[in-house]
Order: sequence, then structure tokens, then C-alpha cells
Amino acid sequence: MPRLPNTSPQTLSVLELLLESPRSWHYGYALSQLTGLKSGTLYPILLRLADQGWLETRWAEPEQPGRPPRHTYRLTGEGAKAARTKLAEAAPSRMTRRLAFVPGSR
Amino acid sequence: MRMHGFLGRLADVLARQLLSWLHRRVEPGSREWLDALTAESECADDGWQRLRWALGGVPLVWTINGRRQMNEPSRGTMRALMVRGVANIAAIAGGFAVILPATYLATDFFRCHLVFGSQPGGCQDHPFVFASITIGGGVLGMIIALALRARFAAYWWAVCSVFNTVGSVWYLRSGIVDLPRYGATQSAMLMAATFGVVLAAIMRDTPWTETDHGPLHHVGDSAGAPASFLSRHRITAHLIAGTISFAMADFLVRMRDRHLVGDNVNHYAVLGSAMFAAILAGLIGRRGSRLSAQGTIARL
Repeated sequence: MPRLPNTSPQTLSVLELLLESPRSWHYGYALSQLTGLKSGTLYPILLRLADQGWLETRWAEPEQPGRPPRHTYRLTGEGAKAARTKLAEAAPSRMTRRLAFVPGSR
Repeated sequence: MRMHGFLGRLADVLARQLLSWLHRRVEPGSREWLDALTAESECADDGWQRLRWALGGVPLVWTINGRRQMNEPSRGTMRALMVRGVANIAAIAGGFAVILPATYLATDFFRCHLVFGSQPGGCQDHPFVFASITIGGGVLGMIIALALRARFAAYWWAVCSVFNTVGSVWYLRSGIVDLPRYGATQSAMLMAATFGVVLAAIMRDTPWTETDHGPLHHVGDSAGAPASFLSRHRITAHLIAGTISFAMADFLVRMRDRHLVGDNVNHYAVLGSAMFAAILAGLIGRRGSRLSAQGTIARL
């Protein structure tokens, strides 16, 4: 059975992180560090979320001179609402998956 | 410590080269996400981290180009795909339409059977004739493919021609005595030729290179167009492709059957196949780019 869109553990971890501060802008590098996702996984997820209208993007001026402008992201209103729903739906299975990694839980 | 610093700088250079190469693989209008990834690579603490980050650009470019193709008007795309597919099938079939009848006619004429081996009366008794048929057929296939603007078929026939040429040269040199080793070498040669063609094809120029103040150009079409290292040093690019292909084929042969088959393989033949394939595919890519610049070849 094909997986529903935006329900992969990787996407959910990105959504979870973005939901922690939905009004602030996030950098891709920081998202990668905090979620543990590699750039090749993270960016296709961000691209897809932006295409679906869940993610707002903006080019920000660099903090240091000589550096290129940076792309930043935050959830749209619709995206935040949908993310909360997805995370709530996935909560039981995510909890089971987490418990499976706790020593002695099997 | 000094070595560590050197390797770090090397990784940094590789990361930047990879990002610049990926940049040319994406249509200018679709580069936002790759630019985003590239900008963030500046946050990496060292060269290795930057290289790991830059490698993520490969699946991203794959995704970007896949989405672009999906969003293109489907009718035009489908039609173009069909035309391209038919041209490729016709070019492959055209080559076989020459090789197969010629082979059967030759076996009939020389009264030999089609088995290639140590048994008397096989086609190895007339190596020049059968080598000419297979190599000539491959070359003809390439010409047909280029005429029909079918690049995949041209690469297909490049692999066949390389495989048959190197195999024939080796057989004519060693003769029947070395035939058992020929069997073991065949798969490695074919692998090396395929890797060589594929790598050289990947390294070929793309149309998504633009000047700072002008429309899109093919690399090398205009003196003002920025050219990559690989397009400026074509021979070096082909040699790199050939060397990597040889290393890959050699590694796979040794890994698969350890020394049992690995020792029985003629590595010179494998090296020859890889190098020849890379150079041939590079020439096809160059010819294809020229036709493409004139708007007469379909890009695969």
C-alpha cells in the first residue's frame, strides 16, 4: 500500500521542528543539524512541502559580508494546521517506533 | 597534520566543483533550491563536511529535474518521447539488420558454424571476417544512430564496437591458446565498456550554461560562455572516465569471485575497453552537442 503524502518519519521530524516555533524563519543547515537529516533528504522534503503550500520561503540577507543570501523557511498557516494533524495522526506509531529502540523494551 | 589539511582542502575543492557541476545540470529557472543548498554549504565547518553537504545536491537535482519533466506539457513530452524512442529502436535494429544477415551469409559462405570456441570449424577460424562484420556493424549502427539523432542508440553501439574491437584485437594477438581466459575477460570488458560510455556521457556538456549577460549557450558554442574544467580539458575528462571505469570493473571482478576469476582476467583488455569506450562516448557526446546546438538532435 503506498504511503500517504508527508507521513514519512523524515518529513514528520521536519514538520515537528518547524512547529516548535512556527512564526520564526529556519535555515536549512540548522534544520539538518537538528533533525539529523542529510541535505539530500532534507531539501527534497522542503521542496515538496513548499510546492504543496505548507512552507513559506524567503531569501535572507547574509549575516556575514561576502556570503551568499540564505534561503529560509517557515510553515504557512495552512501548513501548520496540516502538520499538527499529521503529527497527531502519526503519534501512536511514532511512539511505538521510539519504544522499539529503548533497551529492554522488546 | 599537514596531510589532513591538504585532504580537507581537496574535499573543499571537490565540494565546490560538484556544486558547480550540479548547477549546470539544472535549468536556470529551476535553480532556487539548489542555490539554497549551495548557500548553506558555506556554513560547513570544514571541507569534508562541505563535501558531505554538497553530495546531497545529487538527489536534489534528480528531484528538481524529475518535477520539471512532470510539469512540462504532457502532450509535447509524450510525443517527443515517442519520437525519441522510435529513433533509438530503429537505430539499434538497423545495426542488427546488417550484422545478423552478414554473419549468417559469412557462415554459409565459409561453411563454418556459429560457435566461437576451440572446436574446429567454428567462426574463430575466420577471425578477420567475423571481427570486420561485428565491428563494422557497430560503427554503422553508430552512424545510423547519429543520423537519426538517437543518442542512446549511439552509446549502445559504442559499447558493442568497443567490446568487439578489443576482443578481436586480443584474440588475433593471442589466438586459440588464450581462449579460456577470453571467456573470463568478456564480462569484465563489457562492464568496463559500459561504465566508460556511461561516465563519459554523464560528463558531457549540458545546455543549461549561460553567460552573465546573455541567453543560454551550449558550453563551447560561444567564446563568452563559461566552461567547466571537464569541458575545457576534454581528453583529461575522457581519461578520468576511462580510469574510473577500469577501476570499477576491476574492483567488481575481484570482489565477485575473489581471485578465482580475477586472476584469469586479462586486465589490459579491460583497461583498453574502458579507455576506448570513454573516448568514443566523448566523441559521440561532442558530435551530439554540435547537432544539439543546431537544434537537430534530441537530448536524452
